[in-house]
Amino acid sequence: MAQYTDRALTEEEMERYSRQMIVPGMGKDAQLRLINSKVLIIGAGGLGCPAAQYIAGAGVGTIGIVDGDVVEISNLHRQVGHSTTRVGMMKVDSLITHLKGLNPLPSYIPHLTHLTPHNAADIISQYDLVLDCTDNPATRYLISDVCVLLEKPLVSAASVQASGQLTVLNCPPVPQGITSILGVTHPLPPCYRCCFPKPPPPSAMTTCGEAGIVGTVVGMMGIAQAGEAIKILAKGHHRADILNDPPHEPTFPPSLLIYSYDLEKGPSSATFRSVRMAGRRKTCFACGDNSPQNLTLEGIQKGTPNYDQFCSLPSAKVTLPMEDRISASTYKDILAGTQSEPEQKILQGILIDTREKEHFSFGAIPGAINVPFGKLLTAAAIAKREKQNGQEGREISKETYERLSSVLPREILDQEEDKKDKESEPPIFVVCRRGHDSQEAVEKLREMGLDRGGKRKIVDIIGGMKAWKEEIDPSFPFI
Amino acid sequence: MSSSKPPKGHFTILYFASAGSFTGKQSEHLAAPLPLRKLFETLEGKYEGMKAHVLDHSLVTINLNYVDMPEPGQEQEEGEKEPVVIKEGDEVAIIPPVSSG
Repeated sequence: MAQYTDRALTEEEMERYSRQMIVPGMGKDAQLRLINSKVLIIGAGGLGCPAAQYIAGAGVGTIGIVDGDVVEISNLHRQVGHSTTRVGMMKVDSLITHLKGLNPLPSYIPHLTHLTPHNAADIISQYDLVLDCTDNPATRYLISDVCVLLEKPLVSAASVQASGQLTVLNCPPVPQGITSILGVTHPLPPCYRCCFPKPPPPSAMTTCGEAGIVGTVVGMMGIAQAGEAIKILAKGHHRADILNDPPHEPTFPPSLLIYSYDLEKGPSSATFRSVRMAGRRKTCFACGDNSPQNLTLEGIQKGTPNYDQFCSLPSAKVTLPMEDRISASTYKDILAGTQSEPEQKILQGILIDTREKEHFSFGAIPGAINVPFGKLLTAAAIAKREKQNGQEGREISKETYERLSSVLPREILDQEEDKKDKESEPPIFVVCRRGHDSQEAVEKLREMGLDRGGKRKIVDIIGGMKAWKEEIDPSFPFI
Repeated sequence: MSSSKPPKGHFTILYFASAGSFTGKQSEHLAAPLPLRKLFETLEGKYEGMKAHVLDHSLVTINLNYVDMPEPGQEQEEGEKEPVVIKEGDEVAIIPPVSSG
């Protein structure tokens, strides 16, 4: 922990920090605490860039930055600490270049690596407070666990698409395994696992690359994250001994800030909500009563727990057998009527594209019908419910048809009159972005009875539109 | 995310992040009262697969306060505190963790 050293501020510090120092609650002592603090920012991306700018601007004396990636042009709409001229440079170096321009006084420490179970304790131990600005669940659990063990406060923010979350964890730090302190009546501070004991399944994990992200939303969260860090350091809230100071009311009720922004709604509809969280969980794997048996620094370094495995628990993902799948090239041949084995000729049928409508808007295979995956799942749930309500049999009842047609295009549901009694009907092809959702979609369409008891083939295109771009049409605008 | 006042005999439920993408909506009104232990079951009935994809790893709040979800199958034991019931006019939120940045 940074020692508080009493000294006069230099002339440059006086001028540089004057506007924030005169804010009620700040003053000289608070500024000196910032100058004597060491902050670690893990991730130099959409959260880390804005957070680092304000941490540096405010005069935190030592700033470490961890990231193993290089700057890409698709980062720049939100990662405002980089620049077009620095594409290809290590993100850490690029961000430090920017920060030095903003404030040359702090010491900047580059860590040109991803945080791993092997290096985490070594890096984190050098700092007073950690900002989690990373982009995946496995690293989030790792950071939180190491912060519990090293007793470091953690400010955690996250954002995807148009949602943001922010929470202060482990502050002030309480030693691992202690879930109550004599005379302290308020909840002890939680860790990340106390808030989210189970990781999301990989299927629910949406990364910025896959799901998209609004620059201002992630920027807002990064700035708010810096704000909390500055407050904690300036006021000394991270001092563990604060718990022993009478009158035992130093901690703040743990809370989670949620920012919701919606491009589909009118102006002024964005909202902040702060929800009250529970404190340290007695049963928490990392900080609860029996946690010292589960979690140690040595264990983490040796690979226990296994974070990658923990965050890729078996998912409900469907894997179709190969005979129910076709390649992008085969589909192209079907479209062009140039199949190599005409005796096994597959009819053209219908192509369903299950990507989100935003992806679809940039381009699709000619004739494709857009049914976003979520809509398809809704339709499947409707069909299933109807079945449970006594609508037996493979054929779709009239009532179910009406309900489904509010979600699915009629082309998929309708049966051409003249094909009704034929042995086979034109197939349904399903394509998605990369070939995962399409397999589940095939299953769901069959469950809905759209394979007409086996008379109609339903298959997916292996590798999705990504494969279409790679194998068939390099100019296809895939994002 | 703004929510309109629920009609009589209902509560409001808010779907954040992946809960919103899964249900295709940000909020709706459901019939109250509803015991908290029936909440996931009710939602799973409406949105098949939601439990495994969203609910199991989400946190739940009632009127902005975190609530512990009762363990499945865990019947109320004698002397245990009253089971939580979602009341008319309450605001429930389903909050999955967001991991990206």
